[in-house]
Amino acid sequence: MAGPSLASSASASPSRPDSGTRAAPRWYSHAYNRAELYRLAAAMGWLSRPARLWLARAIGRAAGRFFPVERATVRRTLEVMTGAGGARLDALTADVFRDFAMCFSDLVTINRQPLTRLAAHVSYAPGTERLDALESGLISLTAHVGNWELAGRLLARNAARPTHVVVAEEEMQNIERWVRRDGDGVRFVSRTAPTVSLGLVAALRRGEVVAVQGDRALGTRGDTLVPFFGHPAPFPRGPFVLARALRVPLVPAFCMLGPDHRYVVTMPEPLMVAAGAEEDALRSWVALLEDTVRRHPTQWFNFFDIWNPPRD
Amino acid sequence: METDEILDAIKALLVERLKFDPARAAEITPDTLLPQGLEGSLGLDSLDFIELAMGIEERCGITIDEQEDLAPHFESAGALADFVTARQERA
Repeated sequence: MAGPSLASSASASPSRPDSGTRAAPRWYSHAYNRAELYRLAAAMGWLSRPARLWLARAIGRAAGRFFPVERATVRRTLEVMTGAGGARLDALTADVFRDFAMCFSDLVTINRQPLTRLAAHVSYAPGTERLDALESGLISLTAHVGNWELAGRLLARNAARPTHVVVAEEEMQNIERWVRRDGDGVRFVSRTAPTVSLGLVAALRRGEVVAVQGDRALGTRGDTLVPFFGHPAPFPRGPFVLARALRVPLVPAFCMLGPDHRYVVTMPEPLMVAAGAEEDALRSWVALLEDTVRRHPTQWFNFFDIWNPPRD
Repeated sequence: METDEILDAIKALLVERLKFDPARAAEITPDTLLPQGLEGSLGLDSLDFIELAMGIEERCGITIDEQEDLAPHFESAGALADFVTARQERA
């Protein structure tokens, strides 16, 4: 595995680190970001869920053959994550596309249903009741594993507070309506300007929830290299800076698809970030993420090289 | 606090919390733009704005909890000083 290649650039002043002029990672630029695929998946919504998931599995298995670049990346990633090889590695690679197709199908169908109807498809692991005791603002930390969007919606319902979901400025505006639907107390906040963090500060001061993805580097000085499956990978430090500054907890949340096709929501112990300990907290988060991915390697839905994100 | 005093407080925060060169901070005027991406700005990124907001809360005794879009108030040093002044008068 080649080492990461984060280019450094000159400082703006002798004492102040560069604010970040590196090229942004292009992790969103994969062949699945096509409006036609979202439309096709949504059109399957009239089927019963078992039938829809059966069809999604079949399409997912076939789809892997049509995306050779992503397939090769997934295979290399799984090789590092699982140590598998040969036929076992091929099977795991195919399973990523299968599981992604099922979660993707749910993303544009059941995720759009009223939250009361979602209960039929979701169970909660012990520990999620911790959320009830958190009265201050909080930061929900998720990643692109399982049905992460559903995790955010369920957390918004359970927290009974407005939830601001921070998302990257999507390259293809025409798919936004499929994946970013305000409502049910959820509001999407696009990371279009550096001042976006001010709105998050204000929301946390009001006792609201901020949901962020903790697995995608931004290509700025806010990235920190942390070992992930034994190799350094860039992760965003921003959520940890925000939590430390506002003295609010970070609540890791995962929503994984089980063998019975029900989702299981897990919320490990919240992380509190002491002054100067942002990087330690980030490492704790990455360890939690690694543990989750180790148990569900076929639900790691980042179709790029996490250790060397592609850049513009 | 008067607007000029708040502007001085902003300069001090830039040095103390954001590690700006004091000589560079001293050159800041009300027209100096703050956010990264604007030509001639100080180039503050999202992490800087968190630190700046926290510093202003502590130093100026206000709480930043507005529902409204805060970006226009943090576009320049002068706009920020005016915002803080207005908040202090309202408190």
